[in-house]
Amino acid sequence: MVALKLAFRNLVGAGLRTWLNVFVLSLSFVVIIWQNGLIEGWNVQARRDMIDWEIGGGQYWHETYDPYDPFTLQDSHGPIPGELISGMKAQELAPVLITQASFYPEGRIMSVLLKGIDPDQDILKLPATALKGNENDDVIPVMIGTRMARNNRLDVGSTITIRWRDANGTFDAAEAGIVQIFKTNVPAIDNGQMWLPLNRLQEMLQLPGEATMLVLKPGDHAVTNIQGWTFRNQQYLLSDIDAIIRQKSIGGSILYVILLALALLAIFDTQVLSIFRRRREIGTHMALGMTRFQVVQLFTLEGAMHGILAAIVAALYGIPLLSIQAVQGFSMPQGADDYGLAIAEKIFPAYSTGLILGTTAVVLVVTTIVSFMPARKIANMTPTDAIRGKLQ
Amino acid sequence: MDNGRLIAISGLYKHFPMGKDRFTALKNISLSISEGEFTGFVGPSGSGKTTILNIIGSLDSPSSGTVTVLGRDVGTLSHKEAAGLRNHYIGFIFQTYNLLPVYSVYENVEFPLLLLKMGAAERKKAVLKALEWVGLSDKIKSRPSQLSGGECQRVAIARAMVKRPSVVLADEPTANLDAENSHHILKTMVGLNRELRTTFVFATHDSKVIQYLKRKISLIDGMVVSDET
Repeated sequence: MVALKLAFRNLVGAGLRTWLNVFVLSLSFVVIIWQNGLIEGWNVQARRDMIDWEIGGGQYWHETYDPYDPFTLQDSHGPIPGELISGMKAQELAPVLITQASFYPEGRIMSVLLKGIDPDQDILKLPATALKGNENDDVIPVMIGTRMARNNRLDVGSTITIRWRDANGTFDAAEAGIVQIFKTNVPAIDNGQMWLPLNRLQEMLQLPGEATMLVLKPGDHAVTNIQGWTFRNQQYLLSDIDAIIRQKSIGGSILYVILLALALLAIFDTQVLSIFRRRREIGTHMALGMTRFQVVQLFTLEGAMHGILAAIVAALYGIPLLSIQAVQGFSMPQGADDYGLAIAEKIFPAYSTGLILGTTAVVLVVTTIVSFMPARKIANMTPTDAIRGKLQ
Repeated sequence: MDNGRLIAISGLYKHFPMGKDRFTALKNISLSISEGEFTGFVGPSGSGKTTILNIIGSLDSPSSGTVTVLGRDVGTLSHKEAAGLRNHYIGFIFQTYNLLPVYSVYENVEFPLLLLKMGAAERKKAVLKALEWVGLSDKIKSRPSQLSGGECQRVAIARAMVKRPSVVLADEPTANLDAENSHHILKTMVGLNRELRTTFVFATHDSKVIQYLKRKISLIDGMVVSDET
């Protein structure tokens, strides 16, 4: 209790020096929480965008479908199973038919994945309604993403020739017109892909009523054990992004440790300077009857109180600042959407209670430790040397 | 205490390492100081005055011989026991005042009482009384940086006296003061010695202090050369 009173008195008495230390430490609190919040926000956004745009509540895959093996696409289709028809009619399932094709922008030949989707689906965020009403035109209505449009210099109204093989292996070709260019954070449904009405693609491939996969509406329960089809749940479909997040987390942790180390180096430095500068004062404390333990306790408590004050100061300006950014978002640099990851133009940091409490606890504990170390060293000085301000 | 003897020193030697050799600061000192004395170790710089004061104050320990303060052999005390002895029975006054710069006058004087875990009301009464003794009742909120050298040393005296110690050890208390302030300080200490029967032990080579001492123990090269009452 006495040590607490004296430590508080020392901090208040030190005035500007205390507040300078407290401000520096509070900055580290805010920066560490902000940096981790940003990474967490990115993770949350990436998963949410993938669910919204690509994977829904899970997918039924045709048994031979392998998204990483284009040679499987030719055979990866089958009639939509009877067990799923009702779900499809209730708009709880969105069938997608996928095939490989070529197209010829500006005289070049490019590979493309043609994906047929029901224009009335609302399970995925894809603006498929743009394909509606054009299903029977001679020109195939096609929807592409901004990356695809940019890479191939296509625009709404552009016409291109598409060449594909139908179910019998016969090549066919037709004109396609771009009716919609959508913007998405998920490159996996954009680069090298064209979306067209499901019926039209089924007709082109001579695969009426067939699909490569069916996307389940989020929150709906999957029917498992369907002959010829495999259900892939969200966990499976998000495993790639989760692996990336894990990798990022390692990098984030390293950055966390570096930031923490920098902050604590500053505090350690300040504490060492402060304690060694105050060795005469420490000698006086000893002469007045303080034990070594009490000296160590006093200076360690001072350090810990710096940490507590810093947490309060960080809360005072950090909560409004971080809250504003959580709402306004953090703009990513131009070209970030070409990284191949689901990165939004703006990342909205997410601050969990665990992150805030964990960071606060870690900073407080480590601040206390770095205050304890020099205090213990100087408390071992002989009182006569300490009083004279002599260094040992 | 043995027959009113507050401090008993017998065959005291103190050596300090100096490279491969050692320097002997105190050589075979034997003497005693009784309760209520106003005495001082007198001698030139390097004669061992501060060293003997530090040993009496249990800030340092003898290399050989015994120093007994209030019946406790300081050479055998643990750090904690030595701190306890200083805390309860010994007051220090330093040449450079050694006030705590971030504390007010009141807080500086209060400090030893906080270590004694004295109650708030009793503490306040004792601090105000001590400041009254040294004539600084009007400066309780001032910081040391706002005081003159003489005032700082009076705060140091109040801090040493506030817990009513058995002995006050004053190391060159007037070295940084002018003549007027020195006399003022010394008169204050003489008054406290007379009023409270507190034993004062000085280490000094200042003639202004020496003229106030009732007993002068002269040291030269670590040896007692005279002991005059």
